[in-house]
Amino acid sequence: MTTYASQRVAYPYFVLSLLLFGLQVALGLWLAINYAFTLPQDLVNVFPFATARAFHTNLLVLWLLLGFMGGTYFMIPDETRSEIYSPKLALVQLILLVGTGVAALIGFLAGWTQGRPLLEIPFELDLVVVAAALLFLFNVGMTLFRARNWTVIQGTLFGGLVMLAVLYLFGIPFYHNLSIDWYYWWWVIHLWVEGAWELVTGAIMAWILMKITGVERRVVEKWLYVEIGLFLFTGIAGTGHHYYWLGAPKYWLGVGGIFSALEPLPIALMVWDTFRHVRARQAEIKNPIVWTLAVGSAIYHFIGAGVWGFIHTLPAINYYTHGSQVTVSHGHLAFFGAYALLNLTVFYYAIPKLKGLDQFKQTLSKWGFWVSASSMLLMGLAFGVAGVIQTYLERILGLGYMAAQAQMQFWFKVVIGCGIIFFAGVILIIYDLLTLKPQLKTSSA
Amino acid sequence: MSFKTARLIFLAGTLSSAILFLALTWDTHRQVRVLTNADRLSDRVIAGKRVFQKYNCNDCHTILGFGGYYAPDLTRVYQRRGEAYIRQVIAAPDKVLAASFRKMPHENLAAEEIDRLVDFFRWVNDIDTHDWPPQDSASRASRSAARLMSGTTLSYGAALFKENNCFDCHRLQGVGGTSGPILDDVGNRLSVDQIIKVIANPQQLNPDYQMPAYEASLSRAQIEALANFLANQKGGKQ
Repeated sequence: MTTYASQRVAYPYFVLSLLLFGLQVALGLWLAINYAFTLPQDLVNVFPFATARAFHTNLLVLWLLLGFMGGTYFMIPDETRSEIYSPKLALVQLILLVGTGVAALIGFLAGWTQGRPLLEIPFELDLVVVAAALLFLFNVGMTLFRARNWTVIQGTLFGGLVMLAVLYLFGIPFYHNLSIDWYYWWWVIHLWVEGAWELVTGAIMAWILMKITGVERRVVEKWLYVEIGLFLFTGIAGTGHHYYWLGAPKYWLGVGGIFSALEPLPIALMVWDTFRHVRARQAEIKNPIVWTLAVGSAIYHFIGAGVWGFIHTLPAINYYTHGSQVTVSHGHLAFFGAYALLNLTVFYYAIPKLKGLDQFKQTLSKWGFWVSASSMLLMGLAFGVAGVIQTYLERILGLGYMAAQAQMQFWFKVVIGCGIIFFAGVILIIYDLLTLKPQLKTSSA
Repeated sequence: MSFKTARLIFLAGTLSSAILFLALTWDTHRQVRVLTNADRLSDRVIAGKRVFQKYNCNDCHTILGFGGYYAPDLTRVYQRRGEAYIRQVIAAPDKVLAASFRKMPHENLAAEEIDRLVDFFRWVNDIDTHDWPPQDSASRASRSAARLMSGTTLSYGAALFKENNCFDCHRLQGVGGTSGPILDDVGNRLSVDQIIKVIANPQQLNPDYQMPAYEASLSRAQIEALANFLANQKGGKQ
């Protein structure tokens, strides 16, 4: 079913990505238990919350990146109408990255850490990641340059990947000044999720929409240009919304406030775009789950990143909500909507093709999507309620951190409940994707 | 919209935002020395930052509002808790937080490492964060105390109790932390004078007490107001 043999190299990326996703969610549940219940001191001494959180967040980054990379390897042969420069290198790269991931998790347990949230992996492992990233860029770059068949989608994708790799470098050094440390920490984290990743996923999503709807390339690419232009215009200077309270000059409240208030615009455009392309489709959509996921991702992205982000980053609100469970609520909804669902869209588009299935049974995937999407929405709301309680009791009334946390316990228990349902939804999706069955009723033409 | 216009939007949007961002980054570097008191950023402070990272403190605690949300923010911990409490809780979290429903790992830090962490927190305490976090803002606290006292039901002592974060450790009428004794009926157990002694310098009474001394941060009159308020807590519902 795949036109190019080298597209197959994407499959191991997808499988590992899915398994790490499952592990990430399991650890998320463990974190929620840490919040809602008192754990014995002996357990806290050997496996503290901090270590479990490092697992949860690093697994998130790793599975999303493996998904993007697999998606890239699946997409570029079709886009360039040529084979990948070296599928072997792609496998070496995968082994390096997964090896780094495993070493990092074992290292965290033994206290081998750089101790900076999300960028915990030690310097030595950073070097392996850089090596793997260079292999990836080389492999993708050689494929694109050799084919000389440039499109806006390819340019956006490659630009995003280069940006992603370059920005990672800012997270490697040890900074003496804590304020400067966090200043550049956001060059990795913010400029990834509201910059480089938007380019990569924007390109992949544009390509999938073009494929499943048959809408003309020129139309898709024109709107892709406008979208990524707005993403970068609002996203780059919008980094300022992280600089309000870290010891930077006061003008960041104005710059960050204005640019990040505009950040919902490109997402709204993307939602509208997705709807319009689906409505104007020329081709019959064979596997409706793919566009359910695509539309779901766009809407979720708008709610979690757009609306939640908009409210949370207004300086007058952020003064009270910064670094509270409101941030947690925003983080979960935004990451799930913008990036987890996007990766699942890619998986549901690509894996059936890799397995030679024209149409597949949609039942499990639909259950998986609706169960996970609705339980995550409820979980985000529960975090949000906890965050509002915390903001009011701790930051406005000044009752103290633990006094506020005591009043939030109930909502952490709600989070556990939602988390269990979410985990079930994710297991359904993983199981379904790894064991896709052909749709028997219709014989494919 | 034509394809060319779309490309122009992309180029103009990206470049203008990037140029603005890089220019402000350059200016931030100029100003950050003053805002963070970089002249006081000694080798000891930097060594303290390394200790802070070595034990992954930041994945439970936020600092400058960033990090894990599982434990209190540490930006102003030096001012809020004082050096003595910081030392105690790092050296023996199992004892200090024995009654707390959330635990802190016992990491067995060397004495030298604890010294450096204290140096680090002292330096962080003075970063100009535009008065963030609100719960530790001195100007907001005094405004909030004035607001509370303008209500007819609240005494000066009660306002002081709240503003000095006593609720962090002590529980009163079902509100507050659990790492210190519950104070609902403290008036039955201790006299005003005894309470004054505890608040002023608990370690003088018993070196094992985990509570910070307040004689440096509160005036004699304030401690008396606080003690009078507490001596009236005799177990009844208010």
